[in-house]
Amino acid sequence: MSANPFAVNSAQITDVIQESPSIKTLRLDPKDKFEFSTGQFAELTVPDKGEAPFTPSSSMYNTDYIDITIMKTGFVTNHIHQLEPGNRVGLRGPFGNEYPLEDWKNKDILIMGGGVGMAPTRSLLLSLLDRKEDFNRIIYLVGARTPKDMIYKDEVEDWRKYKDVEIIRGVDEVPEGQEWNEEVGLITTLIEKIDINPENNPAVVCGPPVMMKFSTLELIDYGYSEENIYLSMEKKMYCGHGQCRHCMIGNYYTCKDGPVFTYHQIKDEENIWK
Amino acid sequence: MLIPKEHFFQFLKSSVSKEGSGFSEVILPYKNDDDLFFINYSGQREPALNYYRTIDPLRIYFYFPREKVYPIETDNYKRLIVGATACDLRALNLLDKALVKGDFTDPVYNDWRKSTYIISADCEEIADTCHCTLLNGKPYPDNNYDINLSSYEDNFVLQIGSKKGEELLEMLEKTGKTKEESEAVKERIEKNRSSVVEDLREQNKDFNYNEDYTQIRNVDPDKWWEDQEECIGCGACTNICPTCYCMILNDESNQQEFIKVRSQDSCQLHGYSKVAAGDSPRPKMRDRFRNRYLCKFEYMKEDFDELGCVGCGRCIDSCAGEIDIREVMHKMLNQVKQKKA
Repeated sequence: MSANPFAVNSAQITDVIQESPSIKTLRLDPKDKFEFSTGQFAELTVPDKGEAPFTPSSSMYNTDYIDITIMKTGFVTNHIHQLEPGNRVGLRGPFGNEYPLEDWKNKDILIMGGGVGMAPTRSLLLSLLDRKEDFNRIIYLVGARTPKDMIYKDEVEDWRKYKDVEIIRGVDEVPEGQEWNEEVGLITTLIEKIDINPENNPAVVCGPPVMMKFSTLELIDYGYSEENIYLSMEKKMYCGHGQCRHCMIGNYYTCKDGPVFTYHQIKDEENIWK
Repeated sequence: MLIPKEHFFQFLKSSVSKEGSGFSEVILPYKNDDDLFFINYSGQREPALNYYRTIDPLRIYFYFPREKVYPIETDNYKRLIVGATACDLRALNLLDKALVKGDFTDPVYNDWRKSTYIISADCEEIADTCHCTLLNGKPYPDNNYDINLSSYEDNFVLQIGSKKGEELLEMLEKTGKTKEESEAVKERIEKNRSSVVEDLREQNKDFNYNEDYTQIRNVDPDKWWEDQEECIGCGACTNICPTCYCMILNDESNQQEFIKVRSQDSCQLHGYSKVAAGDSPRPKMRDRFRNRYLCKFEYMKEDFDELGCVGCGRCIDSCAGEIDIREVMHKMLNQVKQKKA
């Protein structure tokens, strides 16, 4: 590859959607074409402020715009939350590997998304729905702390209309004053509520480290093999292409060999859940 | 090819002049007390060729501590570096694999590599911390140079190693006379080289390296902590290492344009791999200390088929805690051996 991997593609913000008190989705219109495969990530630049890695949350087959869903958690993301439609940001990438959709044809797919970890899994879900005829059942388990923290609220009913798509949403707790008529309990408890054949079928997990850890262990109990559990890992990915070495898990580069890893690949590496 | 040293230095003088060979910069090692530094050639002072490696790694002339990587400003800069040592060339070979020949290219590093001519030199002296022979290296280069210099009385014996080397030779022959060296001269150089190898072996005879490097990750972590105690986590060892290329990509964009600047980073620093929510896979100094060794001896070997340590010894010289990489490796490799037995 000889293109400059540091080159930045300019993108205009066309819409900002407040998903929860701490999470927003930016809808972007990139100046130059920006194609990605679901699972891959991009580096987003806020001029004057900095750059950080995010996974798009829109379908890979959507050529009209790119959604990126971002939680306010640090310096750059605080500034991202102040952006408005019409502002300009930079995009680099896409980087990393993707979910192996072609290997999943005619399979039952289980997806687990916790908190802002719903963002990459929304991209996966929407990409799967765009070619639903290729896949069998899709079961999407969603977890959030409280009903207020649940994102993509307005879209769920549309997703539920698809044939063979089942969506189970749970919150850890329902504080006073908030309403909720779906499941209550940690996302790991939702696994007990489903009926799916774990043999030769993939399960995808994305969320905070502690959620990923216990969901993975629960999936193994359920009968999933380590090779079929796909984890979307998050590390400090500065460059995006395997140069800066900040995101290494043992000798794996999260940015290049991942961010999608099977549990089997990385289970023996140190501190994978940190 | 033999050339009188005087003619060689005349060539250098002419090459910095505007009418000369068109080098924008000529960089050579100079000696201050026992230390050697790369300095821009002015023609005023005798450079120190054929000693040992400089304080600064050659890497910093190709991968600057701070450098703009987007957008790139290209110009017709042409540089000549003289007096590079074998260890530094071996490190450049690893950097080439990492930064040019892999699945991405660092465009700025690549530009520097293309626009720089390298004349290397045999080491005829050794520093106290030199230990290339422990890593199967030699104090003279086998490849990766454009021209190599071995010293013979008042002459340099030239070896041409590349197309660029042939270009350089052509330039050299404009200002100086070269002739074929005799068999006796070749023998003498081989003898000199062997004697430096012997010096290195003698200097490092107490350190027992074997090539079971991939096993060091299995050594009981407590054994690593014993050596880590003196480490203050300053990152000097990585900053001065000829193969370390970890970096931070700084965003310096403004409302008018996007600008990316790469600057040197160190895996020894706290916060190096901290993620958004504040977690870090290596929060303690001892984890970071060990990581450096695993990176040098296992990860780089696996990724590039090259060891990340070339035995230059700079990290030993620069360590405030007087930690000696040779001692640490000697102990860890001993642990591997004991475990096997």
